[in-house]
Amino acid sequence: MKTTFSLSILFTLLTTFLFGQLPTPNNGVEESKASAYVLRNAKIIVGPEQIIKKGSVVVANGKIKAVGKMVRFPKGAVVIDMKGKTIVPSFIESYSNIGVPTPKSKKWTPRPQIESSKSGAYYWNEAIHPEVKASEHFKVNKKDAKHLQEMGFLVAATHIEDGIARGEGAIVALGDLKNKESILKAKGPAYLSFQKGTAKQTYPSSQMGSIALLRQAIYDARYYQNNKTELPENISLNALNEQLEHTLIFKVEDKLEALRADKIGSEFDLDFIIYGSGNEFEAIESFKTWKKPLIIPINFPKPYDVSDPYVAQQIPLSDLKEWELAPSNPYLLHQHKIDFAISSNGHKKAKDFWKHFHQVLENGLSRADLLAALTTKPASILAIEEQAGTLEEGKIASFSVFDKDPFEFKNAVLEESWSLGKKHIITPQAEIDIRGKYRISLPETSYVIDIKGSATKPKGKVTTYKSLIDSTQTPPERTIDTVEVSAKINVDFRDAVIHFEVDDDQYDGVLTLHGNFSPKIDAFLGQGQMPDGRWVKWSGIQLSRFKKQEDEEKHRVEVDTNARGKVWFPNMAYGFDSLPESQTYVLRNATLWTNEKEGIIKEGTVILKNGKIDFVGTGNFSIPLDAIEIDCEGKHITSGIIDEHSHIAISKGVNESGQAVTAEVSIADVVRNDDINIYRQLAGGVTTSQLLHGSANPIGGQSAIIKLKWGYTPDEMLIPDAPKFIKFALGENVKQSNWGAYQTVRFPQTRMGVEQVFYDAFIRAEAYKKKWKAYKALSPKQALRKNIKAPAVDLELEAVWEVKNSERFISCHSYVQSEINMLMKVADSMGFTVNTFTHILEGYKLADKMAQHGAGGSTFADWWAYKFEVKDAIPYNANLMQEQGVLVAINSDDAEMGRRLNQEAAKSVKYGGMSEEDAWKMITLNPAKLLHLDERLGSLKEGKDADIVIWSDHPLSIKAQVLQTFIDGELLYDSRKSVDHYLRIQKEKARIISKMLSKNKAGEEKRTFHKKEEKHWHCDTIGDSID
Amino acid sequence: MHRLKIFTFLTVSFLLVSNGIAQQKILLSKAKIHVGNGKVINQGLVGIDGEEIVLVENALTFTYDKTAWDTIIDLKGQELYPGFIAPNSTLGLTEVDAVRATRDFNEVGVFNPHVRSQIAFNAESEINTTVKTNGVLYTQTTPQGGIISGTSSLMKLEAWNWEDATLKKDDGIHLNWPSTTKGGGWWAEPAPKKINDKYTEDVIKIRNFFEAALAYSESDDLYDARFEAMRAVFTGTKRVYFHANELRALTDIIDFKREFSIQYPVIIGGYEAYKIADQLIDAEIPIIIKGGHTLPTNEDDPVDLPYRLPALLQEAGILFCIQNSGRMETMNTRNIPFLAGTAMAYGLSEEQAISAVSLNTAKIMGVDQIAGSIEVGKKATLFASKGSALDMRTNELTLGMIHGKFIQLTNLQTKLYEKYKEKYKSK
Repeated sequence: MKTTFSLSILFTLLTTFLFGQLPTPNNGVEESKASAYVLRNAKIIVGPEQIIKKGSVVVANGKIKAVGKMVRFPKGAVVIDMKGKTIVPSFIESYSNIGVPTPKSKKWTPRPQIESSKSGAYYWNEAIHPEVKASEHFKVNKKDAKHLQEMGFLVAATHIEDGIARGEGAIVALGDLKNKESILKAKGPAYLSFQKGTAKQTYPSSQMGSIALLRQAIYDARYYQNNKTELPENISLNALNEQLEHTLIFKVEDKLEALRADKIGSEFDLDFIIYGSGNEFEAIESFKTWKKPLIIPINFPKPYDVSDPYVAQQIPLSDLKEWELAPSNPYLLHQHKIDFAISSNGHKKAKDFWKHFHQVLENGLSRADLLAALTTKPASILAIEEQAGTLEEGKIASFSVFDKDPFEFKNAVLEESWSLGKKHIITPQAEIDIRGKYRISLPETSYVIDIKGSATKPKGKVTTYKSLIDSTQTPPERTIDTVEVSAKINVDFRDAVIHFEVDDDQYDGVLTLHGNFSPKIDAFLGQGQMPDGRWVKWSGIQLSRFKKQEDEEKHRVEVDTNARGKVWFPNMAYGFDSLPESQTYVLRNATLWTNEKEGIIKEGTVILKNGKIDFVGTGNFSIPLDAIEIDCEGKHITSGIIDEHSHIAISKGVNESGQAVTAEVSIADVVRNDDINIYRQLAGGVTTSQLLHGSANPIGGQSAIIKLKWGYTPDEMLIPDAPKFIKFALGENVKQSNWGAYQTVRFPQTRMGVEQVFYDAFIRAEAYKKKWKAYKALSPKQALRKNIKAPAVDLELEAVWEVKNSERFISCHSYVQSEINMLMKVADSMGFTVNTFTHILEGYKLADKMAQHGAGGSTFADWWAYKFEVKDAIPYNANLMQEQGVLVAINSDDAEMGRRLNQEAAKSVKYGGMSEEDAWKMITLNPAKLLHLDERLGSLKEGKDADIVIWSDHPLSIKAQVLQTFIDGELLYDSRKSVDHYLRIQKEKARIISKMLSKNKAGEEKRTFHKKEEKHWHCDTIGDSID
Repeated sequence: MHRLKIFTFLTVSFLLVSNGIAQQKILLSKAKIHVGNGKVINQGLVGIDGEEIVLVENALTFTYDKTAWDTIIDLKGQELYPGFIAPNSTLGLTEVDAVRATRDFNEVGVFNPHVRSQIAFNAESEINTTVKTNGVLYTQTTPQGGIISGTSSLMKLEAWNWEDATLKKDDGIHLNWPSTTKGGGWWAEPAPKKINDKYTEDVIKIRNFFEAALAYSESDDLYDARFEAMRAVFTGTKRVYFHANELRALTDIIDFKREFSIQYPVIIGGYEAYKIADQLIDAEIPIIIKGGHTLPTNEDDPVDLPYRLPALLQEAGILFCIQNSGRMETMNTRNIPFLAGTAMAYGLSEEQAISAVSLNTAKIMGVDQIAGSIEVGKKATLFASKGSALDMRTNELTLGMIHGKFIQLTNLQTKLYEKYKEKYKSK
């Protein structure tokens, strides 16, 4: 307790700005410095709301003493004339790692590290290290600081960029400052991310794992807070609890991750500030309701090198559209009233930052909004708005001086940065501006030189003349050839050196002219060396002035939003301009596969209305108003295909393989709506998929059941109130049999061990729930009296308990009969039923036992021979199981097969002679039943969801093609439009590529195209995309 | 399972098979014959003498002497097909994908033309038995890996050993043309592919190898294992199977073929071949296209492009056939008939689709004199199905024959099926 108390005093001390001088011993007499500065005659951008066209700033003791048109100059102040200059308040960087060490990875070893290797009383997982404090590691790094200064940032929040709970940031000033002066606020925001960073522990290995780990850590922290006396000291949880009370900045890599992070925040009533990825415009509707600001980067993607058409044709439209629209992200967010701060993070070169800064303006964001996003918004996020963000009196004297207004001119040069009242020269300025046109007089001849470029780096062009004598003519004809040569010019204080090479009537070689420039008369006078080595006197008289104004106009920022493309839903090939609406459709004259007692109806009609099936049959019906009628003569209509086992549309890892039991993770947390396979499967008639966790561990993660609503957000795709499911797995994958020679550490490595994992989990869950039940049985008063506190929340055991309590259904990856039998016995002894065995390739060997237990089977039509445990798999499996009364489905587990499940179902007709109607039910009604969704899905029945497919032919026939797919009465796939779609994609690609090509030609920095490989998860995919 | 209605003759023929006695004269009568060359005989007669087809006629117009045949099988209402051919296959070279001990298709080395798959072919593979029973009766057993993976051979799926099984020994070398993009993480976590900076360098390696091999082939008194295996590329009929998909690679292969005057070039893959069909026709390079059960390569591609590729090549007039390499290709070889079926659904005529897995394949591999269609003088490799063999529901073999020998219509899987049916019956 004592430690905490004294720590908190320290915090209070550190959180106040350190301006006064603490007594420190000095070597010699105290350092001399001016008491105050007055910067006069400048354009002062005080803040987003206020610009002083011509005024002064008074700086004293590191702060702004006064600012205004007319201010009193303090005695003894150094007065600096800033005529023509613009003063801009320091930008504030809310996300950086300035001055702190770069995290280093430990050496890779092939053996898995299951437990934490850290010594000390820290959290069990190495990716959670909130105890790390940037302020304890900060060291002035002049090089990195200068980089930020060049971009106008003199105040930055810094942190060690590593791990999921990364620790506490510090707010520092950048400039000619010492370590101690630099830290403005030792206790800055804390930082979070989904990235595991340098931690080598096996868990988490997926994004859903990171999500679960962070949630569990927060639950742990809160529990720890309430039970400190009972629990051993934990440094990490102490720190985390402290941080949960303050600002938390969450770094994400994608718009969807932003929404995922926000969801965690809502669970704990925490307002994470999201540091986004720059593609928020692609999900703008989801951000509209946010009340807190975002932080966004503006390191917009560079154009691709599209000079090679072979390469250009391979660039996906999604990349092209993102490139085109990214610079409009700030404007589009603003347009939708979404608050944001801008970060410079990601820029390796300051010049790129300024380019992007101007692109933001050109794409429509106002200068006031841009300035606010760089100053007052981050100041408020970092809770330093009292001290920084504007040039108002009393705030820190941190600002940049530009030669002209950078919000108006793209060629504005950042000359000086003043940090806490100390000047730091960023771009050394020429004392003289020699630009203009001059006549250079030399003893033998004279030249005209035109000097342009910038004042610090002028460039010259010299006109020389050479006589040409044509002796073939009589008399010989003389012509004069004019040659323009470029001159190299160096300016040093008031001296200039001009070199140029001539070959004319007078000289042949290099002339070097050294001269002193007099700004009063705009003339040079000096000594020059001729090609033959002679030294001569020379002079340069100005003929005309440099047309500064004219030059400036070329660099003026012009807003142009006309050429901007549209955001599609999703923003890629086959995306919609706007989302389709649910309409009333009358589909007539079709063969209807009802899956109901009516069986197959010829020449029937289906009416879709308000997202539901309104009518099915041949009888009388009235055609609703505004109905769209489609004549389906010769066509077949079915309910949409349901894939019980799919791994499409998942971000960053289908397996959380870090532990044997990971019931806490959920695929629903990582649904990805821009997977092209969603669209491809719609084109195969699939309307609903269960996105399952992989099979890397005996108890895997929770499922997501989605409708393939192409164009919608992940949350909109999830079926509301869908029954809860979880993946279990058996056999080679959970034993890590095919993971290589080093993966022999994790329990279980045999089928024997798998049984024990299950028993252990269920028994632990039982004990866990008992504690909670006992607690919940007490009234709050009783609990208080008896001093009984709420038990710890264990996300893993919560889910395991739901299984045991039949609130969550199992879909269990399984092949071999022995282990299938084992799991059913475990379930029997625990009093629940295994809902579905998926794959279940040896189901035919114990179909009778499955039927008796009540388990369904979701299998492959004909897969086998890919691993040892499937050597007895037979394509007659579905038939044999069905004959024994098992509810059977056919699933894909594969993005490719998922788009032709009708063919897979048809194989059961071949292998074992199943009836066609029964075969069809295996990919529609039966999976709907297995998923407990048959009340609303799986057949053509009035009142069920209007998830409908129109087929060109008998749907089990090899000739069947999907013509149209509807979900909730919305036409989401239409094969007739696919040609138009394709042409539209080609047109859009050509449009953007030509834009890119013009950037290539203009010499803009470009990047090489890297072809993205699509991610195809299968259940044995052990992948992670965490660092 | 298959309710075999081939009358009493069948028992006789199976006896003959099991005794290892060669067939005498067999007449297959009244089936609808898909010849393989695009023609159909609605009710036909196919006469077989020993290994060969000796008669193909229209049953409605041709009269024959019943006594001239030892066995006459009535196939009325059924469909008769030439045995389908699986090109570019690891069938017989692997048994269980995940078990290293059973994988025999990828040898160490970069240029391995001397490595021959023929002798590693497992004639007794359990997988083969499940492939035959769907109508695929020949396979091109093909090594993988490296730049030149090795030399393939054409094999029958019914044989005592690899020697018996060989239809054509060492038919060609397999050359993996470099890709213009490279890398991309690992299979579980694909990362963006990079432009292959070494593309040109890799192509030069191949050129250097071919230059040396060509020079070697002009001399008789040297011995080099690799170059010896290349000799027939320059002096015989050995094919060069270029495995390539990208436009750039395809155009470079055309140039390469011309430069080295390669007589029998073939492209395997050919995803973008339809874009330069004219050039490929000019260069006389046929394509072994990947069957449609694969995803489009690029996000922006039409969703049905892989389904349509065969029709696009057919329309362009290019000689092509269908293969099924890819994930789980070995066991999936039995689905080749349905790859042809899918190609039919997306633009090929039924007979064109059949040619794409029979006669076209035989032509491309240079065995069309003896295989690929039901024509007089060819080997009697064929099968009868109750309905269309290209449709999953109706692909149901009633008989199959490889070089005049009946194949067993049972396999490991039908045996397990029967066994467990029995289990439940007795309950």
